[in-house]
Amino acid sequence: MSRLQGPSSLKRKRPDSNSPSGSLTEHERILYDVIRSKQDMGIWTRDLKREANLPDNVVAKSLKSLLTKKLIKEVVNIQNKGRKHLMAAEFEPSKEISGGDWYVDGSLDTEFIDFLKDQFVKIIYKQRVATLEGILDVIRRSGILKVEITTQQIQEIVRVLVLDDKVMEVKSNGMGEFDSIPVGKVCFKCTNKAGLKGEPKVGAMASIPCGVCPRISYCTPDGIISPSTCVYYTKWLDF
Amino acid sequence: MVTPYGIKFSVHIITSHFGNLVAKVCEKLLTRGPLTLQLLIRFTELNSLQVKNSLLILIQHNCVQAFSAEESGGIANKQTPTQYLVLFDNILHRLRFPKFLEIVAQELDENCAELLEGLLQHGRLTQEQIYERAKSIKSGDCADQSGVQEHFRKLVNDRFIERCPAPEPFIAESTPEETPAKKRGAKATKLVEVKKTLEQRVLEEAAVMEAQRFSIMEDLETDIDAEKSKDSSSIVRLGEKRKGDLLELDGDFSFNNKEVTLWRANFEEFLRCLRHKACVESVRARLDDGAAIVLKALLKATRGAEKKVKMENSVPLSLDSIFEEVMKSEAGRTMTLDRVRASLDQLGCPSSMGIDDSYSIDLKKIIELSQNEEVESIVLNRYGRDGYRVFRLLSKAGHLLETDKISEMTFVEKKDTPKILYKLWQDEYLHMEKMVVNTKQFLLWKVNKSILCEHVLDEMYHAALNLSLRSTHEMEQHKELLNLPAGQCTGPMEKKRLWLRSVRIYLVSSLLKLDDAIMLFHDF
Ligand code: SF4
Repeated sequence: MSRLQGPSSLKRKRPDSNSPSGSLTEHERILYDVIRSKQDMGIWTRDLKREANLPDNVVAKSLKSLLTKKLIKEVVNIQNKGRKHLMAAEFEPSKEISGGDWYVDGSLDTEFIDFLKDQFVKIIYKQRVATLEGILDVIRRSGILKVEITTQQIQEIVRVLVLDDKVMEVKSNGMGEFDSIPVGKVCFKCTNKAGLKGEPKVGAMASIPCGVCPRISYCTPDGIISPSTCVYYTKWLDF
Repeated sequence: MVTPYGIKFSVHIITSHFGNLVAKVCEKLLTRGPLTLQLLIRFTELNSLQVKNSLLILIQHNCVQAFSAEESGGIANKQTPTQYLVLFDNILHRLRFPKFLEIVAQELDENCAELLEGLLQHGRLTQEQIYERAKSIKSGDCADQSGVQEHFRKLVNDRFIERCPAPEPFIAESTPEETPAKKRGAKATKLVEVKKTLEQRVLEEAAVMEAQRFSIMEDLETDIDAEKSKDSSSIVRLGEKRKGDLLELDGDFSFNNKEVTLWRANFEEFLRCLRHKACVESVRARLDDGAAIVLKALLKATRGAEKKVKMENSVPLSLDSIFEEVMKSEAGRTMTLDRVRASLDQLGCPSSMGIDDSYSIDLKKIIELSQNEEVESIVLNRYGRDGYRVFRLLSKAGHLLETDKISEMTFVEKKDTPKILYKLWQDEYLHMEKMVVNTKQFLLWKVNKSILCEHVLDEMYHAALNLSLRSTHEMEQHKELLNLPAGQCTGPMEKKRLWLRSVRIYLVSSLLKLDDAIMLFHDF
């Protein structure tokens, strides 16, 4: 599920609090209470069985019933995706369980992230120097996002753009291109390499076979892997 | 930093320039540190004449410096036998001769470059020998003598050539402050440190006094003396080249012809030029042409005042002088004073420093940024985009970070992050620490810049060695083709010959480029 289409999942719905929790069997009640007590951390089914101390078949039956009544839900635990993890319906998984804002169903929402990165580079490129608030403003006014986004989230995306060397952090000196920005304020600029498509310059070492060779530590002048028998070189010199 | 592959690569250079015997002697000196003649004979298992000749060649080409030291604990002033110290850096400089020649051709002219070429080929020459060689090249054009002298003077004035250091300096026993270092020398890791101290001391002791290093005056008198005793063995005909030069040294390896002044290329000045060039190009790529022009002008104006190659900051210069210098260059003529000030600001010198304050640029920072770029480029190409991001995060952070935190900050899938980190750690690009909290184990990671630089440098020496070995291999494989006269090649053979030519050019230029990166990590 992506936040690009469909309704917002950043603003998660709260379930109806008048749900029929009154009509539970005794076993269902015990299980429900254990699960609910774990709040937004939820619980792994095996731990649940141990805590509730009920026979397996009873647990299976009661959980099924609780699920149909929509009192509990299954969530993906980012720490261990294979485990069945349960949580009371009114809670949203904590950051430890979900992986945080950028995770959807236990996987990184790369589509959404890449979309935002792309948009941000375009905005910064156009504005020459941009502040986080400036980016937020453009995003809001353009209406390209169907979900709310916070300055914190913008900051996280911009930080990754800095790590990608597409954008660099600069401090305003209040002059020239910074004249509308208070002195000392952190701003962002596109690097020369951003050019909207460019890759960082390939260094001297990275442009020869040995520079990127995974076997360099096994390669010796007279060994089995050696420069004179090296296939990477043969390929490289095939022109 | 002399790393294991650094040693292998320098031995390879010596082997290809001077043959196996010389390389063997050189290798023993590189791996064991300074040795006496006796020990060298024992370790190399060569005979005394072979070792002596090898040493003479290495000395002649500035790759070995002889010295004697005061015997520790013994009778005061009792000298130990001569020891030989190999100069690792100077061996690597042999690769850079084309770069040195280019600098002189650009800054002075082709004639000066030709004169320098002679010195580079022969290692050390007297003024007389330099002139003689120039004459023999220009086929007996004696009228040109004053021209040659002029070129020589230019080279000296610009400090591209210098008087050779003392042949065998005497090193007094180490001062008390140095003794602890010697004791620690028992530990293998500290060994390099001790050796370095010794190398520095020997070089300092051997160095010609600054006032004399670039003075020709005194030499002219010597020339007259030399003229008088033209038949004496101190003057060697160039035709006899290396062997002949060696006659200057007697069997005991001491120079007894003290009055003969030998000249050699001043590597320090060339490295300074190359370092400046690297800084300017780095700034051009990262900032813009304006900043590059200003930095170039500033460095050109202050080059003579630099005291060592690895200057952390450029020598301070006033805004007026910078502007004046910028105006001198063709590219800078259109720049206004405001533009120059803005460029200085970009270079990290805020204008708030005041009008009469002088400007000094943080060169170390520029070099560091270039080093980072080089390493990051390797990481990107070897470990991919995610690895690149993870590495940059850690490199910028400069402290330990926990796996999950790294994953969060870089947007790398939680399950992929540990794999990437582990690979980087295994290849010695990262440092790892384990931490246990309430029986749960966390892994913390960071970039240790100095260890990383040493590792990358070693990989670069390894790569450089591989490049040259492959080059030799390709040429050996197609020896017959190379020996054929050009006219005899037709059809597919001609095609192959052209291919071989491009291979050679490709490999040679790659090696020169790689050497720029090696200098970035070792010499700058
Ligand atoms: S010569 Fe080939 S195998 Fe050896 S390090 Fe280089 S690329 Fe790798």
